[in-house]
Amino acid sequence: MSCEYALFLGCTIPNRLPHLEVSTRMILKNLDVNVRDLPGFACCPDPVGFSALDRFTWIVLASRNLAVAEEAGLDVLTLCSGCFETLKTADYVLRNENGLKEKVNEALAKVGKEYKGTVEVRHLLQVLYEDVRPEKIESTVEKPLKGIKVAVHYGCHVLRPSEVLQVDDPFNPTSFESIVKATGATPVDYLKKFLCCGVGVRSVDEDTTNRMIEEKLRYVRMSGADLLCVICPFCLIQYDIGQFQINKALGTDYHIPVLYYPHLLALAQGVSADELHFKFQRIKPDAVLEKIEKL
Amino acid sequence: MVETSSSIDSRFRSLITETHEGETLNLCYQCSTCSGCCPVFRYNSQFNPRRIIENTLLGKRDRTVKSPEIWLCTVCHTCTEKCPQGVKVSEIIIELKNLSSKEGLFPAHLQEEAKALLEFGMVSPPTKAILSRREKLKLPVIENAPPEEIRTLTSATGFDKLVEGRKSEEETQETGVVEE
Repeated sequence: MSCEYALFLGCTIPNRLPHLEVSTRMILKNLDVNVRDLPGFACCPDPVGFSALDRFTWIVLASRNLAVAEEAGLDVLTLCSGCFETLKTADYVLRNENGLKEKVNEALAKVGKEYKGTVEVRHLLQVLYEDVRPEKIESTVEKPLKGIKVAVHYGCHVLRPSEVLQVDDPFNPTSFESIVKATGATPVDYLKKFLCCGVGVRSVDEDTTNRMIEEKLRYVRMSGADLLCVICPFCLIQYDIGQFQINKALGTDYHIPVLYYPHLLALAQGVSADELHFKFQRIKPDAVLEKIEKL
Repeated sequence: MVETSSSIDSRFRSLITETHEGETLNLCYQCSTCSGCCPVFRYNSQFNPRRIIENTLLGKRDRTVKSPEIWLCTVCHTCTEKCPQGVKVSEIIIELKNLSSKEGLFPAHLQEEAKALLEFGMVSPPTKAILSRREKLKLPVIENAPPEEIRTLTSATGFDKLVEGRKSEEETQETGVVEE
């Protein structure tokens, strides 16, 4: 397989959780997926806050990013589900809403850019599942994670609205489990698998966000999973830092490691835990790393 | 609270139905699937998507656009996905928030985020500590868009003025924001 994508990092991964970028670049290299860092990308911007302030500005700024990728002639690979929803929605509405493209291009002309609609926006999950395929992932695994039980959390902005995002079945998706199985690990089912992480209300209603985190973790713990695996940095922040916070706020005692999928795959590809910098996460995955060590 | 005809804004409903996603508003038959599947409603019954749609249908601008409850939506789109009538509930709530923002009624944290976007071109710009961490992690130097380019666009759409126009808590109380 030879393909190349424009790597859209967004803000959260490169500027708050750069260790996630480390594992992502590692696994993509091991899977022969070429990525290019294009100059000139800006904030996606965030699909919860900025669409709410002014949907048109949100679309204009997103299409500016698409125009940057179009100039390079590369499809866009996003690592954050927020960035994915923003860029994919912009692309979708520019193709479907009458007159919008002309209005957006009028604004973009002021900075010498134009949206043409010539590139595709892809989520990391999609690239791994549809373009790379689980068989290829499996072929790069040196240390199958046999017996490691993984609870997957899809999150919202990769699945819904399905009419726009078109990644997987919004209520019965299987792509994430498939790429987890490719590492040799076992995906486990749990109640409230599709509960939103709640980051969208973090700044306006802390109690609700805490209770959303707690309910998810309660069922993950009941499932006997060794870890919770996510594909979005905001979900990771919610369940990692958020887990620490709810233990204080609600008096709970959760200690469930939260891994970004590239971290899980990198471990299966034989990368040492030291190179993955778990020290930057609040909940240390020592117990599961020890289990993997003994495999 | 007794509703009077003066609290009904007849133009308000069409402001929503004239938007691309808002035209699905009229299809609502109030079955409450949206509230039943809403992850926020489970914990905070103040946020009730069915009631937001009902109030929008009835032209109750004050109870939607001027009510802080619309800002409790996480935009998870579960309601839109599950609505048996194809009402784009979450998108309609986004349109309501846009109207609310035009009146300066958006939360303070969004003003902060928007100001960061205008200043740096991104909401979470790299700090010195992060740049040195990136170097230690052997990550490449990323060349982001010049912030002036972002400001040119936000001034063309009037976004910069909108961000400045946020009303303080005291001001919103004076304008009679409905709190239930």
